[in-house]
Amino acid sequence: MAAVATAESAGQTLRPLFWTCAVFAGGVLLNADRVPPWALAVALLLIAWRVLTAYRGGGQPGVAARALLAVTLVVIVLVRFHTLNGLAAGTTLLLLMAGLKLLETRAARDQFVMVGAALFLLLAACLDRQELVRAPLYGLQAWLCCGALAVIAAPATAARAALGLAGRALLYAVPLALLLFVFFPRLPGAFWAIPRGDLALTGLSDTLTPGSIGQLATSYDPAFRVRFSGPAPPPQERYWRGPVLHEFDGQTWRRAPAELRPHLPREYLGTAYRYRVQLEASHQRWWFTLDTPTEAPEARVFLTYDDLLVGAEPLRDPVSFDEVSYTHTRITRPLDASARRQDTALPGSANPRTRALAASLRERAGSDGALVEAALDYLRTGGFVYSLEPERLGADAIDDLLFRTRVGFCGHYASAFVVLMRAAGVPARVVTGYLGGEWIPYDGGYFLVRQAEAHAWAEVWLEARGWTRVDPTAVVAPERLRRGILDLMPQELPARARLLHASPWLNELMQRWDAANAWWTNHVLKFDYEAQLAVLERLGIRSPDARALGWAFMLALCLWLAVIAWHVGRSLRPAHADPLARAYARLCRKLARIVPRAPHEGPLAFGAAVIARCPAARTSLLPLLERYAELRYGPPLPDTRAADVEAFRRAVRRWSLPQLPP
Amino acid sequence: MTREATAGGSAGWNPFAPLRTRLDARMAQWIRRRQGSDRLPVRLERRRLYILPTRAGLAFGALLLLMLLAGLNYANSLALFLTFLLTGFALVVMQQCHRNLLGTEVVAVIAPAVFARSTGALQLTLGNTDDIERLRLEAALPRGPLVLADLAPHTRQQLELQVPAPRRGRVRIERLRLSTAHPFGLFRVWTWVHTDAAMLVYPHPHGVLPMPADSARNAGVRRHAGAGGDEWAGLRPFRDGDSPRQVDWKAYAREAPLLVKEYVQGASELRMFDFAQLRSLDEEARLSQLARWVVDAEAHGERYGLTLPGMQLGPDRGPEHRHRCLAALALFGLEERE
Repeated sequence: MAAVATAESAGQTLRPLFWTCAVFAGGVLLNADRVPPWALAVALLLIAWRVLTAYRGGGQPGVAARALLAVTLVVIVLVRFHTLNGLAAGTTLLLLMAGLKLLETRAARDQFVMVGAALFLLLAACLDRQELVRAPLYGLQAWLCCGALAVIAAPATAARAALGLAGRALLYAVPLALLLFVFFPRLPGAFWAIPRGDLALTGLSDTLTPGSIGQLATSYDPAFRVRFSGPAPPPQERYWRGPVLHEFDGQTWRRAPAELRPHLPREYLGTAYRYRVQLEASHQRWWFTLDTPTEAPEARVFLTYDDLLVGAEPLRDPVSFDEVSYTHTRITRPLDASARRQDTALPGSANPRTRALAASLRERAGSDGALVEAALDYLRTGGFVYSLEPERLGADAIDDLLFRTRVGFCGHYASAFVVLMRAAGVPARVVTGYLGGEWIPYDGGYFLVRQAEAHAWAEVWLEARGWTRVDPTAVVAPERLRRGILDLMPQELPARARLLHASPWLNELMQRWDAANAWWTNHVLKFDYEAQLAVLERLGIRSPDARALGWAFMLALCLWLAVIAWHVGRSLRPAHADPLARAYARLCRKLARIVPRAPHEGPLAFGAAVIARCPAARTSLLPLLERYAELRYGPPLPDTRAADVEAFRRAVRRWSLPQLPP
Repeated sequence: MTREATAGGSAGWNPFAPLRTRLDARMAQWIRRRQGSDRLPVRLERRRLYILPTRAGLAFGALLLLMLLAGLNYANSLALFLTFLLTGFALVVMQQCHRNLLGTEVVAVIAPAVFARSTGALQLTLGNTDDIERLRLEAALPRGPLVLADLAPHTRQQLELQVPAPRRGRVRIERLRLSTAHPFGLFRVWTWVHTDAAMLVYPHPHGVLPMPADSARNAGVRRHAGAGGDEWAGLRPFRDGDSPRQVDWKAYAREAPLLVKEYVQGASELRMFDFAQLRSLDEEARLSQLARWVVDAEAHGERYGLTLPGMQLGPDRGPEHRHRCLAALALFGLEERE
């Protein structure tokens, strides 16, 4: 018995500490993919240690040991990151220092500080990753942190009660949060740029090796989404332009060294496609567009001479932009000499057989256009196979592909075709990007382009036409144009994707999920200064000046506070479901000014108590209370009861206190 | 003359302490003027509740400000939403905290008398006439320690607040503070209750002089016959601490339970305590000595009377008489000046 009592009382004193450890651990885990693994391990170890010593009772390290540990950890962070400024370094440092602080956490104040650290870690996680999947986790962590505050303030609070308290308060807070979210003035730009470090790059890089696109082919992640405001291009025209590569060293294609060339004036032919692209955060600088974009959408994006949109900064956050593209253009000016030199260059004397093939094709073909056709014919009839996992190629990679293995992916064929063209003296370049896109019929309908749809094709310079798109993969595997890569090679897909394709129901679910993600990115994450202005405009505030907004906001705030105050206060008197009880409660409230009803008093005893204080009320009050007693305790009268109760309710409403003697 | 009830030592030297004290006094005056005196029972209304963030609340506010800056700087919607959510949370907490105290009833404040150099217990009764729980209500005298109370719906609870009683006299309980930081401890709402309760502090009962013997002669009252003998009062069951000499051994020998012969020290015993006769002591020591005698005489069931300059009490006995005597000693020389 005594043992139980002590365990229980010990449990009570430890409760805030455990909550503190739990929310701190939550904050640490939310940042698990941002901080280095060793820091994560150290933090979790410190938490485990603190919990264990709290249970078993054991010494904490002394001040000197903690100071030494702190200095060591700071030095390690400095050595690893070379800075303490920046989200990754800052988060790591916060995590380690807070972990150390945990060791000396005893008083409520320390625990409060730890909850503050947990909230900061939550903030860091919010700054770092904003996917829809993580939003519920963030919400949960905020809830736990608030619950921990309740437990720290009152250590006897049970977990359920703490979560109930925190949950209710947070629910009340949601309307205000939404209000502030929409109306709180945003800044048009950052006022303090903190380096945020770079995550692993996703998507296409600025190089192409024969196998590099194949690696993307199994990734089901979205690359970007496109909404057309007019007609969408047919499937065979859905080439999404990414990095254009010019330099070839025999194995790898690269972008040309930064060189400013003029964007060549041209004629745009055919349909103008107007659309809005929503790019995922790729941590790269490519802004993908439909084939040939006409202009740079923003000041921080450049339209290069090879028709690529390149951002000034890597894309750390999702971004949306409007663009107009054409899929056919004509350039009548000749290509200048240096550009021609760049796009006909080949390394040394590699790939002799390819060169020989090029020479023979050149001899037979009359024009450059005929040469392109001849080369495509060669690929079409040469028994070439389209495969995600081709054999490794040797030193003369193109020779190997064209004459030995004859198995390749889009990157292989694009590369071989461009080499062939260059060997024949036709300027050519490799374009990487995406081909296709899945139509998602939700959220207004849009094309979802996944990483798996990464593609590579070629562009050749034809006199009087300019750069012309040629896709050698289209002749090797014509169905690739019409169907997504995922349909084409089911055996190559990861198990997850295969499962999705087997079940239309699951597929639909995935499409809806993507639509939800798109909505989240568009309307929540990208709710910035401009979006805010747009919302205000829709509300009729044309030129929002700070004062009017401030007043409107203050008004809304007061309204919310009043509603909350009323709602919080309402718990004073829970509404009675029974109209009779409600009416009686109302009467009691009126009478409470004379004397409040004691919980044990029945209506008649209460009436006597009131009349003793205020005899003037006798004539009007007594019949009312007697009526209540009759309705409440008398025989049931099913026919007239509802009407009687209503009459009683009216009588109560009319009844007022007689004038009290001064 | 009034003495503020003060408790608790000074916790370290604080350069702002004098300023703080003066500020507190000014605030107290202002609040008293604003609210007036309270007639208990009193229900705590809105206009008398004051609310401010606690230290934790201020820290929480600073945290929110930092989060806001980070969110704005990065134009990060999630961080901003989190900030706004927590801002709303803090405001809701403010309401809940206010609600926790609002409507609480201060039913009674009773201050039983105590002896000097001990600690008195002020009995404060709080009532909750509403359907909500009121948790972690804190009651305290100015600069006194907090006493916590949880009030279930429709209940009352009595709290005891410690009042140090160093000297005899009357300790005015001018005001006491009710507060709460429940839930979450981010805000503290408080109110001052002004009472006219006063705690009587009897003199410290101390003195080594023997009690004056039978004073019948002095008082002119005849003593009852039967000197040296106490009056037989009856038998009662044995209790620990009874003297073996008083045990009725004969009855015990007859296999009766262990009984004690009880004697009342005669109704006839009468002692008069006179302030004027204790010339060898100074005033406070005389009062202490007289208090000692009053306490002892009452404990022995004797009749006694008290003579103070200009005042004659008794002879009589019983708790009422004892209180009258001790009260007279407590206030001797103090109240006239008011």
